[in-house]
Amino acid sequence: MFKKITMLLVLVFFASSAFAADLMVFSGAGLMKPMDEMIANFEKKHGAQVDTHYGSSGELFGMLKMGQKCDVLIPGAAKYTYDALKNGWIVEDSIHKIVKHVPVIAVPKGNPGNVSGLKDFANPDISTAIGDPKSPAIGRVARKIFKQNGLWEKVHPNIDVYAPTVNQLLVYVAMEQVDAAVIWADLTTWSEGRGKMDVLRIDPEKNIIKTIPTAVTSYGRENPLAKKFNAYISSKEGLAIWKKWGFEPCSAE
Amino acid sequence: MFRRIDFFRGGVIAVSVGVTAILLMAIGSFLIVPSWGAVWENMHSSELLFSLRLSLWTAAVSSLLVMLLALPIGYALSRFSFRGKAVVKTIMDLPVAFPELVLGLCLLLLFGKTPFGKFLQQSGLNFVFTQKGVVAAQFFTALPYAIRIMKSSFDFINPRIEFVSRSLGYSQWETFLNVTLPLTKSGITAAGVISFARCIGTFGTILILAGGSAGKTDTLPIHLYLNISYGNMDMAVTSGIILIIVSFMAIFIFEKTEADL
Repeated sequence: MFKKITMLLVLVFFASSAFAADLMVFSGAGLMKPMDEMIANFEKKHGAQVDTHYGSSGELFGMLKMGQKCDVLIPGAAKYTYDALKNGWIVEDSIHKIVKHVPVIAVPKGNPGNVSGLKDFANPDISTAIGDPKSPAIGRVARKIFKQNGLWEKVHPNIDVYAPTVNQLLVYVAMEQVDAAVIWADLTTWSEGRGKMDVLRIDPEKNIIKTIPTAVTSYGRENPLAKKFNAYISSKEGLAIWKKWGFEPCSAE
Repeated sequence: MFRRIDFFRGGVIAVSVGVTAILLMAIGSFLIVPSWGAVWENMHSSELLFSLRLSLWTAAVSSLLVMLLALPIGYALSRFSFRGKAVVKTIMDLPVAFPELVLGLCLLLLFGKTPFGKFLQQSGLNFVFTQKGVVAAQFFTALPYAIRIMKSSFDFINPRIEFVSRSLGYSQWETFLNVTLPLTKSGITAAGVISFARCIGTFGTILILAGGSAGKTDTLPIHLYLNISYGNMDMAVTSGIILIIVSFMAIFIFEKTEADL
């Protein structure tokens, strides 16, 4: 009996290591929809198993720092890729800028707070949310936008909640728990948000538009699938999926 | 015959010791990772002290509220049969199996834009994105555990002792206060300690209902999560160590009371 259990344990141990993924992808949590679709296609095409970790850009960066295995990195803004490059975690010539990330103001359907622009975030009668400036890319960008427009001092004490992930912002707006949030334009096209929120464009002169890059990590350098995946998500075929989920390709500039 | 029993005995003990060893190694590896200088420094940082204070006072308030309600509910479930008792029991037990995130979403919806939520907000009880929300989140997460412990410790008290008290002319309330409560002292301690530990450890419910904003609603587990997401591992590990210490103390006291969960 004891022998059998031991054998079973050994078997389970070996079986589990045989199921390890062929490719590990770290992706910004806000890119989940297009990434899921592209990964499913990629798996089918190459018969490979892809594991994905979705997290805030800051979290992904921290996991790389801890030496977690990751072959391809796609954070919410280019800054993180370039910071990782500085630390020697990224293969430089593998960096591709894929799509634009455009901040917008999301309000619940019908705009119950009568929000008209960035300055309303300083109005104490309006409940507002932004991402935690230290964690998701959208939080950092939102703070930059308010600072750049001289609003941060007034907006900062008036924010009701700093969400640790961008998906939480989406939930709060869709569920009408806040009157306004700064969020990525592409997120608002998600089916969750459909029919539940309106989008206010930020004046392009006041806005800060980011790009989403993909890159192979130095850990993934030897993995042929990493290069293939990196190329696939920035290919024409990949861009069509990005577009479907509301992202604007960089090359259209 | 004897060999077989030995195999059985050896097997179950080996499994227990093996799993304990893995857990110990997991906790141990947490203590190897950080640089202790940084941890010591972080212990004194204002952010961590804020989170610690917030965790302690919210957990104290919520576990007090939990106990105030777990006592009557546990007693009712243990002693009386009434219409809908099965429903009450099931619903009260539900949050034990509920993922905390789901519970958080449910509470957010209830306290947010429903007429009930608006009524509460007008009466000064705004639970959405506030420290009051932290207390509410902890309360609903810990309540079912406390009710279970209280019910089973009331179950252990022989109702005959209460009958004797009643037959001597004491009212139900006097009997509860002077006979039942003192007999269940260790149950109350156990339920209180487990509630407190559960409140300290509440994460998902707080994250959704209270928002998890740094410097406002970040209790220790949220503080840990935020610092993982900032890539600040030393700080994350520091909050983790404090959480481990609190859990150890709670379980130590709980074991002393020898109550059943």
